Amino acid sequence: MAALAGATPATSAALAASTTIARITPDLDLSVHIGSLVLETPVMPASGCFGPELGRLIPMDELGASVTKTVFAEARGGNAAHRLTEIPAGMVNSVGIPSSGAAGYLATQHPAYLALGVPVIISVGGHRHNEYAPLVVDLQGAGDAYELNVSCPNLDREGTAIGADPLELARVVADVRRVTTKPLIVKLPSMLSSIADCAQAAEDAGADALCVANSLPALALDPRTGAPLLGNVMGGLSGPSIRPVALRLVWLASRAVGIPVIGCGGIEHPDDALEFFAAGAKAVQVGTASFARPSAAVDIARGLRDECRIAGVSSLADLLAARAR
Amino acid sequence: MSGLLAGSTGVPAPTPGVISERVPADTLGDILTVRPPTGRVEADPTWDEAPVLLHEVLDGHYHRLVLHSPSIASRARAGQFVMVSVPSRGGAKILLPRPMAIQRRHPERGDIEVTFSIAGRGTAELARIEVGQSLLLTGPLGRGFEIPDATSRILVMAHGSGVCAVLGIVEDAAARGIPTLALLSAAMRSAVVGERDCAELGTEAIIVTEDAGSNTIPAIDRLLREHYRTDRPSVIMVCGSSALTRAAVALGVDWGIPVQVALEAHMACGLGYCHGCAAPVAASSDRASSDGATSDRVTSDGAISDGATSDREGPLVCRDGPVFDAHVPF
Repeated sequence: MAALAGATPATSAALAASTTIARITPDLDLSVHIGSLVLETPVMPASGCFGPELGRLIPMDELGASVTKTVFAEARGGNAAHRLTEIPAGMVNSVGIPSSGAAGYLATQHPAYLALGVPVIISVGGHRHNEYAPLVVDLQGAGDAYELNVSCPNLDREGTAIGADPLELARVVADVRRVTTKPLIVKLPSMLSSIADCAQAAEDAGADALCVANSLPALALDPRTGAPLLGNVMGGLSGPSIRPVALRLVWLASRAVGIPVIGCGGIEHPDDALEFFAAGAKAVQVGTASFARPSAAVDIARGLRDECRIAGVSSLADLLAARAR
Repeated sequence: MSGLLAGSTGVPAPTPGVISERVPADTLGDILTVRPPTGRVEADPTWDEAPVLLHEVLDGHYHRLVLHSPSIASRARAGQFVMVSVPSRGGAKILLPRPMAIQRRHPERGDIEVTFSIAGRGTAELARIEVGQSLLLTGPLGRGFEIPDATSRILVMAHGSGVCAVLGIVEDAAARGIPTLALLSAAMRSAVVGERDCAELGTEAIIVTEDAGSNTIPAIDRLLREHYRTDRPSVIMVCGSSALTRAAVALGVDWGIPVQVALEAHMACGLGYCHGCAAPVAASSDRASSDGATSDRVTSDGAISDGATSDREGPLVCRDGPVFDAHVPF
């Protein structure tokens, strides 16, 4: 018990050695259903802030799934340097999502994700609504679910995203729904006129879950020269500074749909995750926090279990109810 | 490699011919290639909450930390780096870890050393760390320097805190009995990094500084040609200044020897998954000759990479470097 509620293991070796203790939780059920996919733990990495390089440093079996960097149909090189910069409480990036295409992903990356031993959620992206379904076909059934990235702010269209247009979004989801029976998660943008309209459009078109939200379109300038700090000029803001924005969107989205909402945006600690659950999320993704602390997502998963144990409850729903009393 | 994300990313362009610290890697894009695979297997990185055993402020400018991390100390190779996470306290929130060269390795004690100067919010916060506190380290990371087969003499050249990146080679060369000369450059005589390390390792060091007027490129070129009048080095390893790197390449070409250069970059993860540290370096060294000194830097499809090819991602500093081959521009 002391080991569970006590300090976070201080080394990767100690973290790995303590996994057995952490997993002995027969009475505790934190699982979440994303369509037909059951995630044992409602915590997973956020796309773009994870790769097998990180997965090998942490006990992945304590996370619900891995989530890949977004795969595009055609190979993409990514944006020019500089690709990221730090601001107080946030990071602005315009990596531009380098991708080796569907074939490249299947040949070089998918085996490494599979080797992590947890469900693989493949993030898929496109520049136009009709690029998603053929890409999912090209992935030949690989992966346990697909996350449709209709929201990356640092691609084309100056930050506006397919996911901000309910009609466009519905076409994407319906097209993909026709070519796969696997669970579909729709990752919505942070900038849209009505999160409820977009959330409902995705649900009506066949989405099994929503991920809310993505980084916010942003600009970082050199304060001395006024010159853009990023090679792509515009980027996406992530980190704790966007947490209240994402929290609001999760609150609104989870009241607009019946499918689960996965919260994403600046989550660093178990308490942050609990805020998102309180706002209506059924699972969370952890992104930028992993850069400074490789075990951030695992620490959150463990923290949720510890909180349940301390409160003497067996589910997150009961924990939230207990905390609300 | 110290404090790479501290403060702004808008690093001013260096004046040609003047050695300046913290030069952006893109000023070297025309002469760098990814080193060909060696078949050497790098140890998997790990992470550690490493206690600070010593925090020394050198001449009010550099902060030298001795950190206890047996797992990293036992795995680290010359030229590799660690990501140092900055503890949050007092409202200061530093989101991203800072990449720092592993300056010294003491596997028998389980310690490593890093040295940094205050360059922004992150390093300012790190400079407040006290003995007994811990820093989260992830590493060792990247492809370090490699001593070519049949090396009889090594020349290392570095400026400022860039010296930290080449000291691992000084350690390895000392252990293998390979005669090494370390050219240590700095703005001021009081800000020279690595002098004590070289003395401790029994390695000859030449100090060149701006305040003494001795670290101009022509002066360094003359000095080294004179030093190596009869017996030339087998390889040059360089870090911390693009002007110094170009001087090293000029010598490498004349002497027909390879030049390896350690780059700085802005990074978030250090492992490769964030893809943040695009290196302005040729994506492939397919046409690099085995001596590495005088070949073209054209990729297999004929494209010159600026770190962002249209359909293929170029190299990353953290994964494909931080040490790259330097070649003469054609």
